[in-house]
Amino acid sequence: MKKTKENPLAIVVAGIKLKNPVMTASGTFGYGSEFVPYTDLSKLGGIVVKGLSLKPRQGNPSPRIVETPCGMLNAIGLQNVGVEAFIDEKLPKLKGVDTAVVANIFGETLDEYIEVAKRLDDAEGVSGIEINISCPNVKKGGIVFGTDPLEAAKVVSAVKKATRLPIITKLSPNVTDIKLMAKAVEDAGTDAVSLINTLTGMVIDIEKRRPVLATTTGGLSGPAIRPVAVRMVWQVSQAVSVPIIGMGGIMTAKDALEFIIAGASAVQVGTANFVDPDSAAKVAEGIAGYVARHGTTVKELVGSLTTG
Amino acid sequence: MQEQTVEILYNEPVSSRYFRLGLKWKTPAIAPGHFVMLRVSDGLDPLLRRPFGVYKVLGGKGKDRLKGDGIELIYQVVGKGTGILSGKTRGEILSVLGPLGNGFPAPHPSADVVMIAGGMGIVPLYLFASTIKRGSLLFGARSKVETLVAKDFKALGLKIKFATEDGSLGHKGYVTDLLRGVITPATTVYACGPAPMLKKAAEICAKEGARCFVSLERAMACGIGVCLGCAVKASSHNEKENKNYIMVCSDGPVFDSALIDWDRI
Repeated sequence: MKKTKENPLAIVVAGIKLKNPVMTASGTFGYGSEFVPYTDLSKLGGIVVKGLSLKPRQGNPSPRIVETPCGMLNAIGLQNVGVEAFIDEKLPKLKGVDTAVVANIFGETLDEYIEVAKRLDDAEGVSGIEINISCPNVKKGGIVFGTDPLEAAKVVSAVKKATRLPIITKLSPNVTDIKLMAKAVEDAGTDAVSLINTLTGMVIDIEKRRPVLATTTGGLSGPAIRPVAVRMVWQVSQAVSVPIIGMGGIMTAKDALEFIIAGASAVQVGTANFVDPDSAAKVAEGIAGYVARHGTTVKELVGSLTTG
Repeated sequence: MQEQTVEILYNEPVSSRYFRLGLKWKTPAIAPGHFVMLRVSDGLDPLLRRPFGVYKVLGGKGKDRLKGDGIELIYQVVGKGTGILSGKTRGEILSVLGPLGNGFPAPHPSADVVMIAGGMGIVPLYLFASTIKRGSLLFGARSKVETLVAKDFKALGLKIKFATEDGSLGHKGYVTDLLRGVITPATTVYACGPAPMLKKAAEICAKEGARCFVSLERAMACGIGVCLGCAVKASSHNEKENKNYIMVCSDGPVFDSALIDWDRI
């Protein structure tokens, strides 16, 4: 391959330049630096850090997780260090790492979303903001914004005004029609959408006749949800023109390519990071192999699905 | 320290539900109390790794007793994951992440050492006992058949007292019943077992003024401090450091018992 040839894996999503389409999903990759002993961060297209709130949050009582067939249910409750500590302590650790850093944010009120976005605006080393309007594990905010198109649009337009950074809106699958939600946030000015967040689920201990999770319900992730996620990415790609970042149970390059062919410009690897902390890098490597084998580029593959 | 694939040296039943699993292991070195995350199958179900305490370092000698050519884990068949593991045979390959976590701190040279184990809680204590080679062991189990590994501790010259729930060996009742009589403020207790047992041990130690370290077990997805699934509530002592929840995998699994909120364990 000639050195001057364009990188066949490169893709621009919402103005964020990615060297390859593989990112890590928020909540599964800490603040990035935790993975330095286990993987090469510079092999990743991007890192989406753990969801940040204005103040630190302690999260939910335990038990917070339970394994399910080909997946897991979690109710962490958005435990995080808060946006200030992220900027002061966590972000500097990623300085010099050749990958895009996206900050995932959430708030319990519209003002909180705006405040967190403003703080990140001046932070050095942040390429974009992913707005979490879809976490099923907090009592206030979150899911209300994520299931009502009008509320979702309000958050997006407010955050858009508060920052010059590109914004990605992360959508919940726990809605009747995800296309409506995608359309609403597109109209409100989001630069991209990412989907899907976890599906609400529940596991019961039949001996105790109690839910296993302390919060009763939690969010289902892992390969069990992948076909649902691929379907939703495909549907959303038919409904909006902003780029899509697809996720939901990606374990391998083959899984990631399904999302890309369905219409995603990039993907996020989530639960797989728990099983193998090097898995996102391996997915990127596998996509590179596929692209070389087929003599194509990621850009050409996006939405290349033929149906009917 | 990356994921590595290791060869199974042996995988033998100790009794009907307990197995000894020997793995080829060169580096990194293991400290008593460390655990490893094993992937029992390449498939998607079960999806997550399973945490296992390290029982023994194989082939370690003298000063280098923690640097051998293998490690031994002991596990109980409780579900699908350990069921699959029990079917593995010599020569098969397993994916392992580890060693992980923080081990048992060494006791003060003048401290009396008492180890207390409930059921499978015996596992990390053997490596600890074989390193310090002193102290006594209180070993609780449902019945005599679950105390077979006690002979390994006897071989180290440790004094052992047993408690079984069915009375088939030693004291009939809970192992924590034995703790009261044997500790003083000069004792350091090392405990591993079910949460109610650890809670009781922590209470007794706090009352008697003895230091107590506990090794906790929790469901965990990653083992490296990022999924935040294995959280336990910290005591108010810890809250001063703004740590309301601490992670068993990366902050522990061994904790000073005073740092845990035992009412919400």
